[in-house]
Amino acid sequence: MDTFIQLTLNGLTLGSVYALIALGYSLVYGILKLLNFAHGDVFMVGTFIGFGAIQLLGGTVNPIVPVWALLVLITLAAMAGCACLGVVIERFAYRPLRDAPRIAPLISALGVSFFIAYSMQLLFGAEPKNYDTFSLNGGALYTDGFDIGNVRVPMIRIITIVSAFVMMFFLWLLVTRTRVGKAMRATSHDREAAAMMGIDIDKVIVFAFVLGSALAGAAGVLFALRIPTFATIGFLIGLKGFTAAVIGGIGSIPGAMAGGLVLGFAESYAQGYISTRWSDLLVFVLLILFLVFRPQGIFGKADIRKV
Amino acid sequence: MTGGYDDELSRPLEGALEASTSEGPTSPAVGRDEWVARHGDNRTGRTGRLGVIEARLRVVPWWAWLTTFVALFCLVPVASDSGYVRRVAFDIAIYMLLALGLNVVVGWGGLLDLGYIAFFGVGAYAYAFLSSEQFGVHLPTVVSIPLVVVIGAIVGFLVGLPSRRLTGDYLAIVTLFFLQLFLTVTTNGDDLFGRNVTGGSNGILNIDSLSIFGRELAVSKEGGLFNPAYMYVVLAVFVVVYVALRFVNLSRTGRAWRSLREDPLAAEVMGMPVNSLKLMSFAFGAAIAALSGTFVTALSASVFPLSFSFAILIIIYTMVILGGAGSQPGVVLGAVLIGILLELLRDPGDSRVLFYAAIVVGVIAVFRFSVKLAVVVGGTFLFGLVVHAIAGAVDNAWVNGSGGEGGGVADFAANWVIVPVDLASWIPPVSYISLIALALLLTLVHGWVRIGLLIPVLYVAAFVWENVMIAQPEPTRFIILGLILIALMIFRPTGLLGEKRVEII
Amino acid sequence: MKRRGMSVIAAVAVVASAFASTAGAGSTTAAKTQAVSCKGTLKIGFTAPFTGGAGFLGNEQLSWAKYAVKTLAPKYGLKIRLITGDTPVEQGPAIAQTIAQKFIADKTVVAVLGPSTSGNVAASSDAFFAAGLAHISPSATRTSLTKGATRAATPAFFRVVPGDYIQGPSDANFMIKKGAKNVVLFDFQEPYSEGLSDAAQIVLKAKGVTTTRLSVANTVTDFSSFVTKVPSSADFVFFPTQKPGDAQNIAQQLLEQGKKAKVFGGDGSNDASQFKVPGSFVSNFAPDISGFAYNKAVIAGWKKDNPGEALGSFGPPAYLSVQVALNAIKKACDVGKGSIKDRRDVVRNVKKIVVKNSILGGDFRFSTKSNDPLNAKFYIFEIQSNGSYKLVG
Repeated sequence: MDTFIQLTLNGLTLGSVYALIALGYSLVYGILKLLNFAHGDVFMVGTFIGFGAIQLLGGTVNPIVPVWALLVLITLAAMAGCACLGVVIERFAYRPLRDAPRIAPLISALGVSFFIAYSMQLLFGAEPKNYDTFSLNGGALYTDGFDIGNVRVPMIRIITIVSAFVMMFFLWLLVTRTRVGKAMRATSHDREAAAMMGIDIDKVIVFAFVLGSALAGAAGVLFALRIPTFATIGFLIGLKGFTAAVIGGIGSIPGAMAGGLVLGFAESYAQGYISTRWSDLLVFVLLILFLVFRPQGIFGKADIRKV
Repeated sequence: MTGGYDDELSRPLEGALEASTSEGPTSPAVGRDEWVARHGDNRTGRTGRLGVIEARLRVVPWWAWLTTFVALFCLVPVASDSGYVRRVAFDIAIYMLLALGLNVVVGWGGLLDLGYIAFFGVGAYAYAFLSSEQFGVHLPTVVSIPLVVVIGAIVGFLVGLPSRRLTGDYLAIVTLFFLQLFLTVTTNGDDLFGRNVTGGSNGILNIDSLSIFGRELAVSKEGGLFNPAYMYVVLAVFVVVYVALRFVNLSRTGRAWRSLREDPLAAEVMGMPVNSLKLMSFAFGAAIAALSGTFVTALSASVFPLSFSFAILIIIYTMVILGGAGSQPGVVLGAVLIGILLELLRDPGDSRVLFYAAIVVGVIAVFRFSVKLAVVVGGTFLFGLVVHAIAGAVDNAWVNGSGGEGGGVADFAANWVIVPVDLASWIPPVSYISLIALALLLTLVHGWVRIGLLIPVLYVAAFVWENVMIAQPEPTRFIILGLILIALMIFRPTGLLGEKRVEII
Repeated sequence: MKRRGMSVIAAVAVVASAFASTAGAGSTTAAKTQAVSCKGTLKIGFTAPFTGGAGFLGNEQLSWAKYAVKTLAPKYGLKIRLITGDTPVEQGPAIAQTIAQKFIADKTVVAVLGPSTSGNVAASSDAFFAAGLAHISPSATRTSLTKGATRAATPAFFRVVPGDYIQGPSDANFMIKKGAKNVVLFDFQEPYSEGLSDAAQIVLKAKGVTTTRLSVANTVTDFSSFVTKVPSSADFVFFPTQKPGDAQNIAQQLLEQGKKAKVFGGDGSNDASQFKVPGSFVSNFAPDISGFAYNKAVIAGWKKDNPGEALGSFGPPAYLSVQVALNAIKKACDVGKGSIKDRRDVVRNVKKIVVKNSILGGDFRFSTKSNDPLNAKFYIFEIQSNGSYKLVG
């Protein structure tokens, strides 16, 4: 039973990060029908911004601000930085290709992805960067917390999960309850009709990128709190995030959240119960089957094109 | 005939005349609107001597180009007896084969296949299974290579099966997952139900080399040098594949692929077997990739899972897109160019030459021979000298960094670009990001402001290149490939030699 | 289309000029039997990953190799230039062969430092052997290179550090000495960790220790679920990673999930700035070189050339490798009376080299049975509460 609880906790922690990344994919895909390959690398830049922010604030052994303030500040820094990056990418790499055949922005996205990942490697080296949250308050983040049965839920995981869910909640509020959100939903439904109704498509698209990239930046910090990051991590994590988006139904907000959690749990249970060796393989096979037999995902609607 | 509509009518006629002398009669291909096509082809041909040369070149038949190219390629081992140069020639020949295969899938079939490298790996491993101690099977090359091709085609077919119902982006992801699957299986294959199948991460060693009609082709000549015979073999195979594919492209299948590419929905409505066509292009591409895998494996006498990563895929993609997806001579040219580029980037001296040569060629291509060109070149040169002088005057340590190899160009660079002796750690990120910001700004301004801004941008680019990028060829090569892809998609999606597609909205 | 011709012409021009410049790189029409004079500049090729995921390894070794060439070459009366060939791990072993060709083609290259990674040794040793180039590696520790029925390396391959067949058992024996009854061994589905864990597991099992083997993909970053699988009765987690950050990570996670097992990292996890959870263990093929008095001058000199850098553990073996290479080159020059007639002379002389008071401690010589160091041992450190490493075994 303890193992199960621990594995569920692992899945939840990992899944919340995947969900945040998946949301970014969904937001962009919903409006532009574009698979933003570079999204994973925006996530990676978020981890690096967080790392840099920690160094600026004095490092984790003796930071110049209290721990809570440190965490909040680096998250905000990462969100802001990634939002800017997302806007730049959209403006220069995707906007000129908005009316081009579908394959063009995809390849451009591939190019952007490699450009960002290897630029970071060029500038900051290929060694992993560790936030070293273990040194904060002498390891308190790892030892404080509460217990479920015999399983300890340390503070650091609580922070990750709660922050992720809070952000998802706010995003959901934004998309469903505000005018901007309504504009986004309208644009993703039918771009031309939305334009005719007076919605500024360019602004909506930029807003979607801002939101998605900011979430990726936050996901980056939450991820890197526990796991060292390196310049080429974007590819793999982005792939997982995208898979989560597809499982949940790409273009759908609750879908992205569900997909992220499903993927997190699947990985965790596969690694814990089945086999560490083949867990990756099982996940890939699962995904391929999913994509082939139910490409619209859990929450999506089957895409029926009218000729 | 006064202006307006009538003028538009009259111009196509003249254009068509010129067009027909310089490139043959233009007939609209399937899916192209006649007016749009002719208007698109209506470009003033180059006048004067260059125009005549260009016109003559265009009339040269394809097999003459192919023969000339192959002949030049064969001369490389003659011109240089360096094992290194010959090995690079071999690598480029392999890239050419791979590019041809990818061209079938992406260029002709219009399918974004991100798992293409897995087929390369399948071919490599299949050859290893058939010609090594792994299973104790040692088939002669004449048998094993065709067998591997067939295996590759079958695997391609199987992977293509799920693709039937998937659109572009989903297909890309499924194929990407297939690649990950392949990597996982080969890395863990040393414990497949308790049997060692793929050798795991240690790979398979001691694989037989090629044997043509009983005579074994040694992997290296005396002194450990690369045996150019391998390069010739690959080149011969390349010619066969090129010609075969060309005939396939000109046949019904080729035409069907073209219409599928232009408008899949219309093609399906017209009754074309869309699924079979997609599967066929997958199978062809996979077979060619598998074929390339055999030669690389035979040469290195070993195969490891690490050799088949996504990064290599990006290299092949850049070759195909640069050359022009859908055009065979284009992708071959792309393969040669990128292959040479990547090799040159390994060496700092060559990288330096490459950079300046690229700048010069680029500036000439954009501005032609005009006043603007003189302004840019002269201005950048002077700007650099001035800045260098000022920086040198302020502090000698700012400019006396090591010049490095590269002969005359390096000496020139040492006097022009600022190379500090000690690079403070904040300089690379700051200069790099400012370069990007300035370059992006460049796209937003116009006219003489743009030209004025171009001068410091070129200088900062030289600074970044010398100080930051040359020393690290690995990330630099991918940065450049990424940039090439982005720039190609935005400015010239048809690549160098691709055909212009006109999409009807 | 009007630009098509122009772009083709431009492309051809670039290609032509590129060829012209590459023609200078390594194309020598020298006859194969031409001797190289020892009075001129001789080259030592160094092939290692300098960029990419393992770039820190190559760069650390490079700083020490450069220092060795700078200070030692004059002592042997040689003018040596170090040329590098970058083999990023992302490009697989094929790049090692291309770089090997590059070194082989250059007649003034008389010895090779590296390849630093075992996979690259396996890929390129045949070519080096055929060319008669001695290749001395400071860090390729894979057992199958010099031992076993099918050796992956050739007689021209030498290494100055002991192979994994020593590290595995010595680590296992240490754990047994510490009273381990239950050990979890990890591997990352790549040869280094698999070899180490295999070797250690055999010894542990023979002594009756309960072992569990967890195989993790190289791409996994979150070890939480694997940590969950570690039984609460486990005493040690054997973690032969090549990324010290991962060792730190798993040690933290073990604490977080309340497991009592201590992390035992291999030589790849040696980095006091990254791996510093107290109570963990690390093994390394070199003791702390500052513990030897006669190294003081060398260390001081290196620190002057590399301000602010930590000494590192991968670098000093590179220094030793250069020392061995220079020794062999000098001997070959003597044999050839002022010139090296055949690169094989260098190979023949490597085995006989004895380095007194070597930087890694004690005298260094090669074993008579293989091209590995004689009587090499691994050193085990325990991480103290202040994060420093203390020698314990």
